[in-house]
Order: sequence, then C-alpha cells, then structure tokens
Amino acid sequence: MASRADYDVYHHRISCSELRPVPFGLDPPPIRIVGQTDPIGSRLEGMANPLEMLDLTSDDPEAVRDCYAERGWGDGLPLVAPTPERVDAMLAGCRDDPDESVAVLPPRSGVATRRVIAVNAVLAGCRPEHLPVLVAAVQALARPEINLRGVNATTHPVAPLLVVHGEIVQTAGYNPGLGAFGPGNVANAATGRALRLILLHVAGAVPGAGDASTQGGPAKYTYCVAENLAESPWGGYAASVGVAAASAVTVHCGEAPHNFHDMESTDPAAILDKAASAMTSLGSNNAPVSSGEFFVMLCPEHAAACDGAGWTRDRVASYLHERAQMRVGDLRAAFALRAWAPWQEALDDDAMMSVTEHRGNIKIIVVGGPGKHSSVIPSWGMTRSATVPVEV
Amino acid sequence: MRVYAPVGAVAPAAISRAVTEPTLAGKRIGILDNSKPNAGLLLRRLAESLAARTGATVGPVERKNAALPAPDDLLARLAEAEVVLTGSAD
Repeated sequence: MASRADYDVYHHRISCSELRPVPFGLDPPPIRIVGQTDPIGSRLEGMANPLEMLDLTSDDPEAVRDCYAERGWGDGLPLVAPTPERVDAMLAGCRDDPDESVAVLPPRSGVATRRVIAVNAVLAGCRPEHLPVLVAAVQALARPEINLRGVNATTHPVAPLLVVHGEIVQTAGYNPGLGAFGPGNVANAATGRALRLILLHVAGAVPGAGDASTQGGPAKYTYCVAENLAESPWGGYAASVGVAAASAVTVHCGEAPHNFHDMESTDPAAILDKAASAMTSLGSNNAPVSSGEFFVMLCPEHAAACDGAGWTRDRVASYLHERAQMRVGDLRAAFALRAWAPWQEALDDDAMMSVTEHRGNIKIIVVGGPGKHSSVIPSWGMTRSATVPVEV
Repeated sequence: MRVYAPVGAVAPAAISRAVTEPTLAGKRIGILDNSKPNAGLLLRRLAESLAARTGATVGPVERKNAALPAPDDLLARLAEAEVVLTGSAD
C-alpha cells in the first residue's frame, strides 16, 4: 500500500521558454505519482491538488495556446488561461470533492477529477453552469459500452457527440433550436470544445499518439447539441431510455451529421425514406458492423409530421429499421472484414438485411428549429451510446 | 502568471507485463490475430521463423475483433503459450 510519502506531488515554476516538446502519450506526464496503488476510479488519497502549475509571462489567449502547444497540448485555437482564480470560480458550485476521481480515461489512463475537468472547461471558454454537464459527459465516456479506448485509437473519424437533455438546457443556456449544431452558442460550442480538450489532455487522444484517425474530422473540435424538448412530440429522449432525471446527457460516438431534407411531404414514410437512404451507405461503419447505432436527429417540423400521422418514436425507429436495408451480397462484396451476427452471415446474397440488427439501435431525438432539414449520425460501430443523469 | 497544466495524473496500470522469456527453446509461441489485413499472415510467418530458429512450437492461434478487448475465454486459451505475438494496424 502506498504511503503519503510515496506521493511525489510538486508544483514547480517553469517559464514558457523552458518548456520543451514532449511526445505526449508516450512519456510520463508532468505530474509524478510514485508507488501509487490507488485502484482505478477511486479517490486519489492525500492528493489535495495533484496538478502541475506553470508560470507564463502573459495570459493572452494566443500566448497560452502557443505555450501549451510546445508541450503538445491544446486544440490549435486560442485558450483562456486556467488561472487558479478562474478554476476556483468554475468549481464554486461544485459540492463534491474536486480532487476525487470521476473517471479514468484511456488510452493514457488519465485521471479526470472535477478540478482537471474544470481546468479544461476554463481553457475552452465554459461558464460554471456548464461544469455539471461536462462531469456527466466524462462519466458517460468512461462507461464500458462506449469503448473509449477503441473510439480514441481507431483510424475512423469518430467523435463523441454530446447531447444535453432536460432542465439544464434552459438554465445553462444550451441551444436546442435553430442552428443547434452551431455555430454561435457559447454553451454548445464551449462544452463540446472542453470535452475534446479533456480527450486530448486527460485521455491522451492526441493525433499520432492516442488518436489514429486517418483524416481527423471537424466534429473532433466541438460536438455538442441540445435536445429540443419543447418541440418533441414524444417527450424527452433520456426518459425514453430509462433515465428519469431532471437533466441528463447522452454520448454517442459517431460521425459528423449526414443531412437529409424533405420540403414537400406530410407523409412520415416519405420523409423517413430519405433518412433510410442516408443510413444505407457503404461509406459508414454501420455497413460492416451490424450492431452499430444510428442517431436520427429529426427537426421539429419532420417530427410534427410523424406525430400528426399518429407515429410514435418507436414506430419511427421500426419503420427506419424496416426501410434501411441493403442487399446482403452487395455488403459482402464491399466488405471482406465484417462484424455481423452469425444469423446474418447465414443469409443468402439476394436477401435484404437491415443495416443495424435491431430497431432499438435507431435512436430518435428532436433537434433544431424552423425548416425541414434533419440528420442521421452513423456510429463508429464498436460502441454503444450512454445516457447518464446530470447532477446539478 | 500562474496557470494549471491540463492533463492531470495517470492511474496505475491495472496489469503488468509478463517477464521476458530468456530463451524460446521448447516454448510455445501463441498468436493473437487482431483481424487487421494480413495480420494473421504476418504473425504466423514470424512465429514460424522464430520457431525454426529456436526450437519453439507455434500455437495456439486465436483471432479477435480489432476494435474490442479480447474475451476472457480467448485469453485463457492463449495463456497456454509462454510467448504471444500480436499487434498489427492499418
């Protein structure tokens, strides 16, 4: 068992000019913990503030960015200086121990405490009311069904999409309406950016070291949206998956949104056939991975058309499951490497097969404002979404 | 001015690496094929080459999905080998 003396926690002063590039993700992190035997996910005993401090000559956002970049940190954009005063203000409403481990994030096995989360929230430009959303998002990312090690390590451009549900959408200023995927709203933009900074810094998902994505992707900068509960005819998504909290977040590790539009139909089938068309692409991982999920983000007008015809959320998902089918032989010809269920492998080439095994893998959420554009967000495949309560 | 570093601590490793075998003579070289293109071919050729040079034998050979952790039963079968070759990316 490690003793208090085994913890070598130090705050040392170094100037920006003394910083040297570090092959981040390969070398030890700046904080040294010697002989630490603390089990994963538990409290870091005796470590009141296990974070290194740096001395900078300027709090100019570009200077912070450049200084961090020397260490392989940051996302390339200017950063708000995470001074102790700003981090303390970010944590002011936090009732829990800020140095308790919230989660351990792979591949770096970085310990995400509330203080570390708050540092990254400050860097991204978050406000204190966004912190509970980030803490819940980190808890969701650490769920085993997310498979964060695979999400971060793959060559696919997957990024965790964060969907915010419930009361905190209003109280913390998230945008569920027009332009919800951005840009322009502080809460959506900064929370999504902070989550990516946590992945870069704490999880070590740095391109080349902990993130092998061939082309990267714009969703890896910020990817946060809010559910438009006020215009959802079927109630909130979180409650529909058994999370009956006042506020919640969902994390879905997928691609950037694939748009579909229908300006003329009032018939749900005509609208949803276009969604099914977007789902049946050989370009997405859902084609070779049969257990992958789809998030279908319906705009309020498309959702209202479905509801007006008496269609429930489950019926929408069932219809899409039935219509989003491809010929088995075409899928086989395209992918020698497949992750299909045995019964699917047994199908004849001329059989038609849904691009996801079960209708429950098709998730329906209402997002956006006026207009008739909706979107499909395919999955990376080897991951499942997680919805967790937000503790305010 | 003083600012925080953003990375935090690293948790201890849940498992440690096995001690390196001093010699392969008489040992079994297992293969964990992660299903990446040509991984099985590469690893088998490598194992066969090592076996021919050292007097080791090849096997067991197992295959898993590249994106998911190896199942416990598969790891238990591989544990029969003293050395396991794995790791291939695209």
